Amino acid sequence: MPHFLRTFFDQTINGLVIGNIYALTAVGLALIFGVGNLINFAHGSVYMIGAYVGWVCVTQLHMPLVATFGVVAVICGLLGMGIERIGLRRLQNSARIAPLLATIGISFVLDQLVQIIFSPNPQSFPNPLPTTRLQIGGVSIGMTDLLIAAIGIGIGIILFLFLRYTKIGWALRATAQDRDAAQQMGVDVNRVNQAAFALAAILGGIAGMLIGLYFNTVYPTMSFQAGLKGFAANLLGGLGNIPGSIIGGLVLGLVESYGVALFGATYRNLFAFVILIAVLVIRPNGLFSRKRQAPPEPLTGTFIANNKPITLPVWGVIALAVIALLLPFFVGDPYFLQILTNAWLLGMVALSVTLVTGTAGQTSLGQAGFLAIGAYASALLTLRLHWPFELALLAAGLITAILGTLLVLPAFRLRAHYVAIATLGIGEIVNQVILNWNGLTNGVMGLTNLPPPTFLGVVAVLPHQIYWYSLILLLLGALFQWQLLRSPLGRTWRAIREDDIAAQAYGINLNRYKALAFAASAFIAGISGAFTGHMYTYINHETFTNTTSILVLTMVILGGMGNMLGAVVGAVALTVLPELFRGMADYRYLFYGLALIMMIRYRPQGLLGSI
Amino acid sequence: MALLEVKNLSRNFAGVLAVDKVSFAVKEGETVSVIGPNGAGKTTLFNLLTGQDQPTEGEIVFEGQSLIGLPADQFASHGIARTFQHGRVFGNLSVLDNVLVGAHARRRAVQSRLPLGGLASELWAALFRPAATKAEEKALRQTAETIIARFGERLTPRLQQPAYSLSYANRRRVEIARALALQPRLLLLDEPTAGMNPTETAEMLAFIRLLKQQGLTILLIEHKLSLVMQLSNHVIVMDNGQKIAEGPPEVIRNDERVIEAYLGRKQRLDQPAANEAATVIV
Amino acid sequence: MKIRHFTQYKLFALLAVIATVLAACITPAQPGAQSAPTTGPILIGVSGPLTGTMAQYGAQWKKGFDLALEEINGAGGINGRKLEYTFEDSQSDPKQSVVIAQKFVADPNIVVELGDFSSSASMAASQIYQRGGLVQFGFTNSHPDFTKAGGDYTWSNSVTQLQASPALADFAITTLGLKKLAVFQINNDWGKATNDLFTPRVKELGGEIVANESYLADEKDFRSALTTVSDAKPDGIILISYQADGALIAQQAQEAGIKAMLVGSASLQSPDFTSLGGKAVEGTMILGEFMPSDPRPEVQALVEKFKTKYNEEPDLFAALAYDTINLIAAAIKEGGATRQGIHDALPKLKDVPSVIYGKVTFDPTTRRVQNPRFENLIVKDGQFVPWDGTKPAQ
Repeated sequence: MPHFLRTFFDQTINGLVIGNIYALTAVGLALIFGVGNLINFAHGSVYMIGAYVGWVCVTQLHMPLVATFGVVAVICGLLGMGIERIGLRRLQNSARIAPLLATIGISFVLDQLVQIIFSPNPQSFPNPLPTTRLQIGGVSIGMTDLLIAAIGIGIGIILFLFLRYTKIGWALRATAQDRDAAQQMGVDVNRVNQAAFALAAILGGIAGMLIGLYFNTVYPTMSFQAGLKGFAANLLGGLGNIPGSIIGGLVLGLVESYGVALFGATYRNLFAFVILIAVLVIRPNGLFSRKRQAPPEPLTGTFIANNKPITLPVWGVIALAVIALLLPFFVGDPYFLQILTNAWLLGMVALSVTLVTGTAGQTSLGQAGFLAIGAYASALLTLRLHWPFELALLAAGLITAILGTLLVLPAFRLRAHYVAIATLGIGEIVNQVILNWNGLTNGVMGLTNLPPPTFLGVVAVLPHQIYWYSLILLLLGALFQWQLLRSPLGRTWRAIREDDIAAQAYGINLNRYKALAFAASAFIAGISGAFTGHMYTYINHETFTNTTSILVLTMVILGGMGNMLGAVVGAVALTVLPELFRGMADYRYLFYGLALIMMIRYRPQGLLGSI
Repeated sequence: MALLEVKNLSRNFAGVLAVDKVSFAVKEGETVSVIGPNGAGKTTLFNLLTGQDQPTEGEIVFEGQSLIGLPADQFASHGIARTFQHGRVFGNLSVLDNVLVGAHARRRAVQSRLPLGGLASELWAALFRPAATKAEEKALRQTAETIIARFGERLTPRLQQPAYSLSYANRRRVEIARALALQPRLLLLDEPTAGMNPTETAEMLAFIRLLKQQGLTILLIEHKLSLVMQLSNHVIVMDNGQKIAEGPPEVIRNDERVIEAYLGRKQRLDQPAANEAATVIV
Repeated sequence: MKIRHFTQYKLFALLAVIATVLAACITPAQPGAQSAPTTGPILIGVSGPLTGTMAQYGAQWKKGFDLALEEINGAGGINGRKLEYTFEDSQSDPKQSVVIAQKFVADPNIVVELGDFSSSASMAASQIYQRGGLVQFGFTNSHPDFTKAGGDYTWSNSVTQLQASPALADFAITTLGLKKLAVFQINNDWGKATNDLFTPRVKELGGEIVANESYLADEKDFRSALTTVSDAKPDGIILISYQADGALIAQQAQEAGIKAMLVGSASLQSPDFTSLGGKAVEGTMILGEFMPSDPRPEVQALVEKFKTKYNEEPDLFAALAYDTINLIAAAIKEGGATRQGIHDALPKLKDVPSVIYGKVTFDPTTRRVQNPRFENLIVKDGQFVPWDGTKPAQ
């Protein structure tokens, strides 16, 4: 067989096997999205726990493989039901975004628990299958490949039969199609949700266990990437579309495999997300959705909770600002000042997120990408072109506004959850470009020796100088945003958030106002990123990761969506809280996750309420 | 010349013809009603006429210009305003803000057609608040308050309340006020009295009649046929996506095809309109 | 919220005035520069990952620290004072490492800092330590710029690629006699720098790079890349990898039927490499820095104690941690238990006994170890053992 053909077949098999795993993960997400209209961020954690349960059964308890799959299914199924209880059932009447956040909290807790119990070290998962490989006309296939293929196909058939011929399967499909109608017809929607979560968790757990076997290793942090790839596959096929998700998973696996073969493994994620965005642009509802249909008319907007926000009179805001400005005179502890400096800089990012997400209703999980663009822009301007810091800072804001808006542009056609995942992908793409564009960004080595921030030529390096500088940037950013919000622009953005169809019917050009929202948001985030970079003096592709994006979205929801004061309060709370938990060492992110879940449970509209 | 001319308009949803070769015209100052059983394609027709949905074929000509292919927001800037069947107010916006959004297309910053020019002027106006912008905003606000005042004590005391706190009927009123804030050339009302009690319905009838008297052109979907008969210059009857009859109310009232469309088919429980229609016609 | 019509210009003006006044003339309350206490335990600050994606490395560090301190304090401490450390979890996130840096700098009890792990977290804090006059001893920081980005308070006993990479090329081409090399490179700062220094040296020595595959740190699937490598028919595969990914590559290479010799550097030298890699890593040649089976008595002593305490062999990170505590103890003995004392003592240290290098002397200009020693190792029966010079059967 010619060389390239053999390579092609080998890559195809690799792609299909990995794609099978993606598909299993994506189907679970599709089930949950279908009935619960929820992106389950804890799904990756279930996958990881499935892998660990499998590992315990095989290596510690020496159970046979078949029994192991049974145990994984039972434990993960129960776990899924538990997640439904905490993450969804009690939050059904709160804002659309609350359950999503609850699942983020749950995933923190699960990941941390596994890390505490099994240590953060990766564990070896010896494959009990024989290592002989079948040779078919020059193409070799391993036993694990066959097992994964068989399980994938088997589960596909079982799932099909289950959905088609069982009562609960019928109820699942009915609920996915029209929740209200199903409820009126006597379907117990809670039970259906629970079934969907259990089923999804079983599939996810088995996928995790298979991947553990495939790569002979399990580790606590395998959850995040798995979740991300699952979302991507699900989105490719269309959210909530089960056959679509299976094909989406396989397509993603194949694309990655061919891409890696052609360009190298560094580009794997870049490929995955570029393809994802491309598909979304061409077919906004996934590869296999029907033709665009006008979405059903909702009742009044439910993106944010209906609530009475706590407002502070203007003198109150000024008083807080003055107190913050005077603080270094009373508390000189640099540790304390640095924490608050971080809070101010993250507060700016939270402002930027609350603008696009809270005010304009476009959930952004890609804000770290804006931070990175701002930091690199300013770093390169000062290092390579020797611009003064003040000018580079402003330019970084403008560059981020322009680049950021252009990057998000393809996502403007998307709605609701699609925007969240697309922006997450965009954040990932930014990091991948930074990593791979050696000529501009110095690649993985990062940029060293960024000049420290200066203000009119005065170098600001001492803790209180940095504190004031960042606080003033935050106040200026807030003022900028406030000006926008109290102008007709603010009204327009909020109208888009409440009901984009109605907004458009009244002459609002959605693209223009989404662009404006993202530009303003990226401007503020870019300045924050630039200042942060110069404060660190060293940046690389790991400085601003998508965990920062999730953290900041959490801050915004904690404070109250669209609430500027709330964003800053959220930033302060979530910067100070982990510091307070320092004494708990390994347990601190466990408590952090629990605090988050409790918050969403008891005050879903945020501390200060949504606006 | 007709203000709105619709020619052979069709919309095909995966093989189902929701709107099938519908043609009609609306003259300036007329009130035209579209009636028909549920699922006849009335709301789809409205979606096509306001750009929320694109027709598979056919022509929409408004003031001599074709509107085919334009995005929904351009329909609004041509002066076409609509309300929605189930009411789509902006829940977390105040009543006043809801109505001000209706005036969006009239703002100067919005009218710039240059893609970047529009963005820039909008930002400039927001950040630096030049006197002209302030004056414009003040004027729009006054107009909005005047429109709201036309609903009397129903809305005026609730000017600053969020729309989600309003009663169902009041939300419909806010919707109509929002549509009027556009100062439309053509107003499309999708079941403006749905869910209203007889008193509220009578009030709405009087209100629409007043709009008509002031010369506003209105296209109306309505199930309450008494209302239709009292308001319309002429009536279009739809069934299964097709226009089956058109004419003045008194003619439609006695048209056999219409009676058959409402009564001749198998009675379905989910079609209260049929019963209601029967009481009116018979 | 109804946004009030409010005089935002007044607010702006007020803030501007306050800001200018503050910035112009006043220095706020600062904690007095207290000197380190002269009695009680001597405290080392550690900034590193205990949670998050890199937590496993912090866990290894702790083991090395604890063992070294047990010995030092068991022998009476330093001048009668106990040596202790406080470990602050940074998750290797720069946001947190700078906060920890401020905390340590402000704490007069802390006389030296160790860490952080990742370059992004470590180098973000360097300037704070430099200004605070607290030595940042980054004992796993191989980024060539690490000691340059800080200043005279930034030190490291980690080998940089400037030293290790050409040595690896010599090992593969000259010592092992390989001609056609395929390279797997983890795409982080360390992998990139290693590869950039490795490739030209290979060419100088007359070798050939027939395939070069780079991958991200969290990559688990090398099957595609291995197909490409297999097609290039190399006689050696260079693993510029860490233990876990290196083991995965070895395993997947074996499954793909690739028979080329595996060659790697010290980064593979962890028991995890052999336990994760199993049969597939047998015969892997390693240009190492530290080896639990090294017959040198100091190494055997450490392995013995480590096994007794933790029931496992120390890996490079644990050994580095162990070595570093001893090095710091030597610096404290030389210069005294103060920040300045340690700073002044480091360049003067000469031939401090080291598990890894035998003896350590610093180059005062690069603030790195002078002439670090490497060891030629081979994986045999799941162990790293000194290579006896006979080439394994391929």
